[in-house]
Amino acid sequence: MSPEIKGSLQLRADVIDRGLCALCGACSGICPFLVAYRGRIVALDDCAVEQGRCYAFCPRVATDLDAASDAAFGAPFDPSPIGRTTEVLITRAAREEVRSKAQYGGTVSALVAFAIERGFIDSAVLTQSDASLLPAGVLVRSAGDVLCRARSNYVAAPTLAAFNREARREEVRRIGVVATPCQALALAKMRAWSTRDRRDWKVSATAYRDVEKLSLVVGLFCTWALDFEGFTRFLAGKTPLDRISKFDIPPPPASVFQAFSDSTSVSIPLDEVRRFIRPSCNVCLDMTAEFADLSVGAAEGIEGWNTLIVRSERGREIIDAARAAGVIETGALPDESLSHLKGASLGKRRRALANIRQITGSDDDLLYLELGAETRGRLLAE
Amino acid sequence: MANIATYEKGSTQLLMGNEAIARGALEAGIGFATAYPGNPSSEIIGSLAEVAKDAGIYVEWSINEKVALEAAAAAAFAGVRSIVAMKHNGLNVVLDYLMGLALTGTRAGIVLVTCDDPGALSSTEEEDSRMVAKWACLPLLEPGTFQEEKDMTRWAYELSEELKSVVLIRGVTRTSHARGDVEVGERIPPLRQAKFEPSNPLEFTSMPAPFKHLVANQKMDKARDLFESSPFNWYQGPDKPDLLIVTSGSGWFYSLEAVKALDLEKSVGILKLGTTWPLPEKLVRQHLSKAEEVLVVEEIDPFLEGNLKELVGEDPSAVGPVKFYGKRSGHIPIAGEINPDIVTAALARILDIEHRPVQPQYSQKALALTAQFTHGRMVGFCAGCPHRATFWSIKNAIKLDGRGGFVSGDIGCYSMAVGPAGYWQIKTMQAMGSGTGMACGFGRLAEFGLTQSVIAVCGDSTFYHATIPAIISGIYNRANFTLLVLDNSATAMTGFQPHPGTGRSATGEQAPVVDIPTLCRALGVRVEETDPFDLAGTTDKLLDLMREEGGVRVLVVKRECALVRARREKPAYQMRIDEERCLGESCGCSRTCSRVFQCPALMWDAQRGVAAIDDVLCAGCGVCADICPAGAIIRETA
Repeated sequence: MSPEIKGSLQLRADVIDRGLCALCGACSGICPFLVAYRGRIVALDDCAVEQGRCYAFCPRVATDLDAASDAAFGAPFDPSPIGRTTEVLITRAAREEVRSKAQYGGTVSALVAFAIERGFIDSAVLTQSDASLLPAGVLVRSAGDVLCRARSNYVAAPTLAAFNREARREEVRRIGVVATPCQALALAKMRAWSTRDRRDWKVSATAYRDVEKLSLVVGLFCTWALDFEGFTRFLAGKTPLDRISKFDIPPPPASVFQAFSDSTSVSIPLDEVRRFIRPSCNVCLDMTAEFADLSVGAAEGIEGWNTLIVRSERGREIIDAARAAGVIETGALPDESLSHLKGASLGKRRRALANIRQITGSDDDLLYLELGAETRGRLLAE
Repeated sequence: MANIATYEKGSTQLLMGNEAIARGALEAGIGFATAYPGNPSSEIIGSLAEVAKDAGIYVEWSINEKVALEAAAAAAFAGVRSIVAMKHNGLNVVLDYLMGLALTGTRAGIVLVTCDDPGALSSTEEEDSRMVAKWACLPLLEPGTFQEEKDMTRWAYELSEELKSVVLIRGVTRTSHARGDVEVGERIPPLRQAKFEPSNPLEFTSMPAPFKHLVANQKMDKARDLFESSPFNWYQGPDKPDLLIVTSGSGWFYSLEAVKALDLEKSVGILKLGTTWPLPEKLVRQHLSKAEEVLVVEEIDPFLEGNLKELVGEDPSAVGPVKFYGKRSGHIPIAGEINPDIVTAALARILDIEHRPVQPQYSQKALALTAQFTHGRMVGFCAGCPHRATFWSIKNAIKLDGRGGFVSGDIGCYSMAVGPAGYWQIKTMQAMGSGTGMACGFGRLAEFGLTQSVIAVCGDSTFYHATIPAIISGIYNRANFTLLVLDNSATAMTGFQPHPGTGRSATGEQAPVVDIPTLCRALGVRVEETDPFDLAGTTDKLLDLMREEGGVRVLVVKRECALVRARREKPAYQMRIDEERCLGESCGCSRTCSRVFQCPALMWDAQRGVAAIDDVLCAGCGVCADICPAGAIIRETA
């Protein structure tokens, strides 16, 4: 059962105007009509196309999880607590220089830089924030350019708009993307569209070619993302935005959000920050970026290391090569940590399903997700 | 335009109505002519400006109609005959001074020509100027033939000096702009003995007002007597008509045509009045008493109709029973322009005559025949117009800003942005300067809960005409809005007349420039400048200004009008479509250039599914190359 794909007017009605937009950016950078601007997707004009890529790529509408999983992994959707998994490790960048610039273990920076150096990819779309904390996708084409974008970002970023724009470039052939869960899902939908839907689409040949340049998805664990305008206005009242060097949310039982500047830091009660969580995050089931080749997050309780989930053959290829080259150090993830991670992921799913239920009024209607009844029943299984 | 100064006395010339008025003024020996451009009046002072040197007269485009009238009155007070021309909106602008002038009187003759636009073909209101004659106690003349346009204007100076009053002449689009044969008289040069010499301390004031108001009424009594024997009023038709048409102005030719079309010359009479206020009462009563049914044919309001009824009402027995037909009875439409067909249909209806001017379904048949040769067109900006680019940026900035911003509009070519030409961006439209005036109101509504961004636009000529006081009021009262001054270096809509920003005078001489950004900066507000063809830069600057908290901000958007430029220079670029790259109707484009941007030179070839450039219309401005998402519009230096 393939969900119906519509056009941009319907995307606005079904997603944006309903407050479901994740700001992943997958709908923008494709055409003149939808653009990502300061934390919003803005429609500059009305498009007349009846079936558009914007609707097809959006991870918050008409999303067949089996089709997305098939495109990413060649297999149906795996409802396990942390998604399709071949191995879970702890990892860190081998070089201290990389680790010192990064949030936890520096794994993502090291892997992406390595992938470019070795030629697995020729460029990568990362996320970078300006002095006002406005994040945007940016294309890097050398390993050196990866490292200065290493800081964690808590504000929702329309990173895929940059993927859409940059993929058009002739000189770019194999692109890697560091993606949040919603972005990774959108990228999987792009792959599903490009390998299947060639029938009645009014789309040029280059549109397919551009999506096929996607060569690696490194996912980031994510619990929620913040609204740019609201959050930065709030934060600016606490500390100058352009002096902030790092953010952090220490593990429970601490319930604070920390912003570090020069030699000072400010601690804000997490509940005050939670007011700026984007509504779309409340209906997101995915904490560990289940549609990526590799997913990376903090290793709670193990300072200076990341948790890394290997999902696909491509992910396996990269991590093995990086380990063999001495770029990444790996270790075993303690069982306790793994069950803690699964518990957290299930917690997010539980909250999301409850919120979705509140909107749709039915256990069978997952709002924007299409999933067989049997698999749907296993979403909360331990 | 014709060189109306050099015609030989006694020759017959084909003249536009406005040219005939100008020639009449020259034959009266005027020395001073002022106006602010306004359709359908612009050619009056326009044609005088062309011959100013030859005729030895002074002609200026004033900054607005009020200053124009004030300057012309000054000349008349000092003994120099003067003429001032305007459209009906201009009459609204001069009203304060005109009321004072009506009580003040004059020394030398001064004539105010006001040209109305029935049907609002090029105006934002449909308005009948004539009411002001009754309101202000001023004599009113309405020319009905081209010869009359000249002769009436010339004679108006005798009348003005006899009464010591400004005289009003009212025209409409068709009398001003149509052309007809005019036998010209002798042109006389102006007197050069200007001296301002009040014979009593209050002579050139309106005071004491009640006394001078009485005097103004007495002048009307005198005018009435003079009008009884005016050659500008005449009757044509049987001695005792079955129906009497009373008409003025353009109604004269229409009534003639209608009577002829229905073959009614033997039964319908036409009383054509050229002096319509005050009415020549004896003459009018004389004709009204000979008919029981009267059709009044006039443009816009039932002014003549109402005055006739008033006259009858004052002494009903003097004329006997009369039934009136006209705008009040619905025989002539109360709104819109009249034409011979309307008058013919009215006559036929009143006299119960079968009259079918056209076949049934004529308009459908005509449309079917011609549709293949013509494109449906809306009013729009010319290809290459900077305003298209400006409103594109405004549209985008408002969407990106995300606060439901809107534009309060003003008068000029850019007014068309109320419609698709300007992406429907302008949301209010009334009078010169009112865009900014309204922004002064909208910009103070935050305390009442308004969270929307307020934007005002005005043109360069509009800026000088009326916007400056509104800006100052906004600054002083801390109104929160962004004003865009759309400077295309011309008073474009009315015919590219010069203004204080262009460096040229009405007579083509070099003139001092009053620089708009400098003036705004002197007022103490933040001013940015931009080229509208730099779409991204203009959008960014506007967004930045919109995001400022509080006060008045100004963005001067400067690029020359495309038509003015085209008179001087070849197109900057040669444009073409790379059909390989063109995405057309596909996802990723959806016909952005021809469907959304909509420059008239961008076409859609539905057969082949690609965009195309109309080489005839294309002005070579190059802007479309920047809006094509596929880079398929190629811009090459011409």
